[in-house]
Amino acid sequence: MFEKIIFATTGTPTCDHAAHVAFDLKKKYNSELTLFHSMGMPSRGFSPFVKDSRTGEDEYLDNDYADWVKEELKTYYAKQLADTEGVMIETSAGESHREILRAARKNDADLIVMGAHSRDEEPGATRYRNVVGSTMQRVAKGAKCPVLIVSRPCTTCLWYFSNIIFGTDFSKASYSAFLFAYQLAKEIGAKLHLFHAMDMTSIHSGKAVSQEEIEAAIADARKRIEKTYVAKMADYDNYEIEVWEGVPYVEILKFARERNGDLIVMSHHTREVDPEDAVLGSTVEQVVLRAACPVASVNRPDKVS
Amino acid sequence: MPEGKLCNTQNVDTEEQLQALLNDKSGKQYYEEMNHLEVDAKKLYATIQKTLKSRLRTWLEICAHCGMCADSCFFYLANKKDPTQVPSYKIQGTLGEIVRRKGNVDNAFMQMVMDTAWSKCTCCNRCGMYCPFGIDMGVMFGYLRGLCYSQGFVPWELKIGSGMHRIYRAQMNVTTEDWVDTCEWMAEEYEEDWPGLKIPVDVQDADIIYTVNAREPKHYPEDLAEAAILFHLAGENWTVPSEGWEETSLAMFAGDWAACKMQVESVYDAMHRLNPKRMVVTECGHAYRATVVEGPYWAGLKGGQTPIPSFHYVEWVAEALRTGKIKIDPDKRIKEPVTYQDSCNYIRNAGLSDVAREIMSYIAEDFREMRPNREHNFCCGGGGGLNGIGRYREQRNVGLKVKRDQILATGCKLVIAPCHNCWDAIRDLEEEFKIGIRWSFLKPLLIKMAIVPDHLKPEE
Repeated sequence: MFEKIIFATTGTPTCDHAAHVAFDLKKKYNSELTLFHSMGMPSRGFSPFVKDSRTGEDEYLDNDYADWVKEELKTYYAKQLADTEGVMIETSAGESHREILRAARKNDADLIVMGAHSRDEEPGATRYRNVVGSTMQRVAKGAKCPVLIVSRPCTTCLWYFSNIIFGTDFSKASYSAFLFAYQLAKEIGAKLHLFHAMDMTSIHSGKAVSQEEIEAAIADARKRIEKTYVAKMADYDNYEIEVWEGVPYVEILKFARERNGDLIVMSHHTREVDPEDAVLGSTVEQVVLRAACPVASVNRPDKVS
Repeated sequence: MPEGKLCNTQNVDTEEQLQALLNDKSGKQYYEEMNHLEVDAKKLYATIQKTLKSRLRTWLEICAHCGMCADSCFFYLANKKDPTQVPSYKIQGTLGEIVRRKGNVDNAFMQMVMDTAWSKCTCCNRCGMYCPFGIDMGVMFGYLRGLCYSQGFVPWELKIGSGMHRIYRAQMNVTTEDWVDTCEWMAEEYEEDWPGLKIPVDVQDADIIYTVNAREPKHYPEDLAEAAILFHLAGENWTVPSEGWEETSLAMFAGDWAACKMQVESVYDAMHRLNPKRMVVTECGHAYRATVVEGPYWAGLKGGQTPIPSFHYVEWVAEALRTGKIKIDPDKRIKEPVTYQDSCNYIRNAGLSDVAREIMSYIAEDFREMRPNREHNFCCGGGGGLNGIGRYREQRNVGLKVKRDQILATGCKLVIAPCHNCWDAIRDLEEEFKIGIRWSFLKPLLIKMAIVPDHLKPEE
């Protein structure tokens, strides 16, 4: 499941933790690793200016600049590159999320690894204003393969992960996320936590829900998890089912913390991709922003079934 | 040195030439060579005698220097009423002078002409509306750019741009394969949310042939997906051509008329080949001007019409909303104050101002006009290729002030700009002056507002 990995990086400390995981995976699974950097947008359409995505400065886009960027990346990742062979370095100019998706499609990648990239106009400013990059969000939305977002130090190697949290909202996209979580759990022998958070945010709109109703809904959700996911897991028995109620992203974070989750897997299939609306973002963004562990976003079956 | 290696009177017809130009960091060598470029006065005057027809000759002669055009020019206003920015002065001092001197001008003069033709006029044609004689300096500057190009005095980016058209039949290096692949890619990426979404390539006899701006496949392929979604919602029978899909013309900005002809003919060929009922072009102003308004003349088509009826995107949107092909959810109409950037190329020069208002009446609850507006609106500040020319960035940024003040006066934070050039200029304006506005094409707004019929919704 890790044959071809794209590590999409800004080449700044924002992506250091993600780099760690990407190079680790390459070594362990002997993956084909491409270090990919989007150089920024040739901002005036047909003109050759690009805004350097690291410094925010205007640069002239030409072969020299592209070579320079590659050299910079080599220098930045010198330590990792020194003891890893065959890492490819690619750059392209354009909107970051689009270029990452383009590269993933071209290379037929199985996995995209990235940091919680900041917005283009705020180079390197990941968590300062509680704004997760729209780049990350848009990549997560458009990618055919799983996207692993690492924004905090990940001290355990992925293959030693012992608790994988799969958060579901029972959507079609969630099923793809399940497949990834399940395959990974089986592969590395981790416990799979099948988790659903009942969305209680509607309470604020004045709809009162009784305790009985909540409990009935929880029981329903448990049954649904049994039927939808457990039934597909053959004899794999290292799992648990848990359903909590509350604000989904809060609950999944609490749950991951309580179970010492090493990885949260969920889908991100909202139609809202407008960066305006993404400021406070969707559940997956909130989870990425706050989770202590990496988060994998999986929306499509292409690379997991 | 009569001709430089990069800066010369040759057309850019090969990838090697193009690459050599691209490798010249910010056109440094190119502009250095330009200092030594010899003016071929004989050829220049011969061209004038052949191509400067009675209309332009008359205009040059009858200009009464009354100065009525001065206040019509946004460069004049933005530059504190600098008299050298008066349109009649600008054209008399360049084209007028070349004609008077029978082409006997030197290198320094031609560089001044180039700087004037590209950094002091965006060919927005606004002055033509205020001249008592109807003299249109924009048209004359368009002509003058052609003279400059023929002598090799053309901004570096536009030499590249017209070369792109010559080689790729697109303003950027997007090949047929890239284009077709992008269509497939976008259909794939969006079909989950929009079951049955297709971007049909080369379908015969479709109702609509859709053409775009190369920036879309190159950098904003979502735009193509959004167009597909709206056609899908409207139930249109549409297609894109595998070749002849590019409507824009940097060649027109460059004054490379031969490349202009090649470019529009590729589109007209697609029309003949696929036999669609009509053509719709994306939200781009100069693309429409090049292919629909000017193109037929470049291609020598009698009657000045494209081979099939051709429409700007706003015309299609207005029709789709009017006939109910696309229905707007009344709750999702734009509530905040919103204004509309009238693009010179399809509003002033092609008369589509009512269509734009009609669209706003369906989608906006608090539509506020800029003043002046419609045919009288000011250029965004980046038209005529100016957005893309590094040499004139400063002049461009000064010019943006007029648009900035117009937008500020509306009190709107959202500007709808269904034109790539305007969209870019307004984005840059925000970058430059930070007035806290947002800008958008119509497509993403419409998708947010449209009612999606049940049968087009994804299963969940």
